[in-house]
Amino acid sequence: MAEKRRKFHEEMKFIKRISPTQYEIAQGFVPNMRVPGICYVNSALEGLLFDELKAYSSSGGQGGFLPAVKQMANVAAMPGIVQRSIALPDMHSGYGFAIGNVAAFDMSDPDAVVSPGGVGFDINCGVRLIRTNLTEADVADKKEELAQVLFDHIPVGVGSQGIIATNTKDLDTILEMGMDYSVREGYSWAEDKEHCEEYGRMLSANPAKVSQRAKKRGLPQMGTLGGGNHYAEIQVIDKVFDEVAARKMGIDQEGQVCIMLHSGSRGLGHQVATDALTSMDKAMSRDGIKVNDRQLACTRINSQEGQDYLAGMACAANFAWVNRSSMTFLVRQAFQKIFKQQADDMDMHVVYDVSHNIAKVEEHLINGVPKQLLVHRKGSTRAFPPHHPLIPVDYQMIGQPVLIGGTMGTHSYVLTGTERGMAETFGSTCHGAGRAASRNSSRRTLDYTQVLDNLKTKGISIRVASPKLVMEEAPESYKDVSAVVDTCHEAGISKKTVRLRPIAVIKG
Amino acid sequence: MGESMPQYRSAAEGNFLFEYLDHTADIQIHAWGCSLEEAFANAGLGMFNYMTPLSEIAKDPSCSRYFDVEGHDEQSLLYNFLDELLFVFSTELLVCCELTVLTLDRATWKIRAFANGEKFERGRHASGTEIKAITYSAMQITEKEHDAEVFVIVDI
Repeated sequence: MAEKRRKFHEEMKFIKRISPTQYEIAQGFVPNMRVPGICYVNSALEGLLFDELKAYSSSGGQGGFLPAVKQMANVAAMPGIVQRSIALPDMHSGYGFAIGNVAAFDMSDPDAVVSPGGVGFDINCGVRLIRTNLTEADVADKKEELAQVLFDHIPVGVGSQGIIATNTKDLDTILEMGMDYSVREGYSWAEDKEHCEEYGRMLSANPAKVSQRAKKRGLPQMGTLGGGNHYAEIQVIDKVFDEVAARKMGIDQEGQVCIMLHSGSRGLGHQVATDALTSMDKAMSRDGIKVNDRQLACTRINSQEGQDYLAGMACAANFAWVNRSSMTFLVRQAFQKIFKQQADDMDMHVVYDVSHNIAKVEEHLINGVPKQLLVHRKGSTRAFPPHHPLIPVDYQMIGQPVLIGGTMGTHSYVLTGTERGMAETFGSTCHGAGRAASRNSSRRTLDYTQVLDNLKTKGISIRVASPKLVMEEAPESYKDVSAVVDTCHEAGISKKTVRLRPIAVIKG
Repeated sequence: MGESMPQYRSAAEGNFLFEYLDHTADIQIHAWGCSLEEAFANAGLGMFNYMTPLSEIAKDPSCSRYFDVEGHDEQSLLYNFLDELLFVFSTELLVCCELTVLTLDRATWKIRAFANGEKFERGRHASGTEIKAITYSAMQITEKEHDAEVFVIVDI
């Protein structure tokens, strides 16, 4: 922290608006930048971005944290980064990488790195959407009951333990096989896999690379939702923007009921990330890799630590898919119980399942030449265009579905990937609303009962384990998800398909 | 540096020597004490208190235990210490309401701590917010004579 902080107006000299939806962060904004940074943000959202920077420039260095623009610029200084460090409209300060940060590293460059800070602690945190053929009218008088049954079925919050029995041997199989385990054990339908990234299984997984510590944390938590911004919501389709794409996904009727799950790899993933950070912290001094921030701990992709992390990360990703699949099973059970019909008679198919905290080896065109890149997406969703070989057959004509979870009580969206996104952002778009206010200020300024009352007047049933979390997660603490999605739509990096509105929320 | 810090340490939780500072997505724990040992222990308590209010945690003698943790420098020692406490919470649901760092060895970067507390029980104890992990992000450890403080951001 020896370096002298620049004044806010001096910092602003490096930041230039290049289009109504983009800012460019010039090299020199932080030391050693190899490529520029690009922030996708429109005029409605830019205030939040600059507020963090302003607070940083004027603070005296006691406590405090790095603003998101500084963080994404620090990422631009990492070895092997290609083209640009990208920040999406839901960006905010994270640890290491900013949240909403995308960066790709050239696999053919021996110095290129992989960074656990570019994936995050919640490896393969993601969103899954399940459709039904029920309408809002069908569930209207059963909403409270449904919310209660879901809350009873899905363990949530601090210290919750899974009800799907898992032993140590199962756990290794889960880490290796991902959703193939869920299908084998009867928790998933075979077709669920088709609608997941990587078909719900990363083949690079090696359970031997996951520490006993991580396994011990993961074991009791299979099939649990977690806390923080994770949730299970019953939603209804509120507006259809793209009828063709919506029809392909089977979600084209206004008033149609869907279920959205937002969860990740639980303690197992958190520990895999922690273990990797610790081992890389040491390896960096050995290999002489310099970065601007300790939380950006990274290692060469081809080093032992790099390969071990990628194999462990894949295991955590598999755990997360099985976790979301286990909860899908519980959701289907709950609906069967309430509506006394079979889940497949209610057409409860998985529409899609996205990962928004992950690193993947992908092929992209760089200056017209295909290149293997390691793409880190932290708080960002893959959004591949139509005809991309890695998206499911039935979505080939419309592009990959992208699921954007809103915040408690606000809209959620389904988007599709575009060619422009493929060219500009390595086929990536936003992941959610993104926080605007700190958890602490939300606790101080918002009232628990008032937040709940607001939800009630909107007709939303809510079940929550922690009252404090209600304040921290109140819509007031977040950016406007519609403004975030509109920015991505205007910038052309993804396209709006449908908007959903919550009618019941289950949270930690 | 630090002459005018009106809010500094002013938001302490109850009688504890820690407070929670603003961070957009996560929580920054600021803990202090007369020595580094105390500041480390208070950071641990600050973490537990975020997951469940410590005022409701009793001391169950069968849960008291020692923690032995090592690092390779000051920051990694704090990181590993908190990571160990979080690990014990995640796997055994142990919440510590009393933490004492008995020794902190600066040559070998080792800590020995003693803890009292009880097991978290849903329904009996209030749920706070789950903490996913400890981070190095903007970590600060400062020590003066008869005063030490730490800043650590935990991931929510």
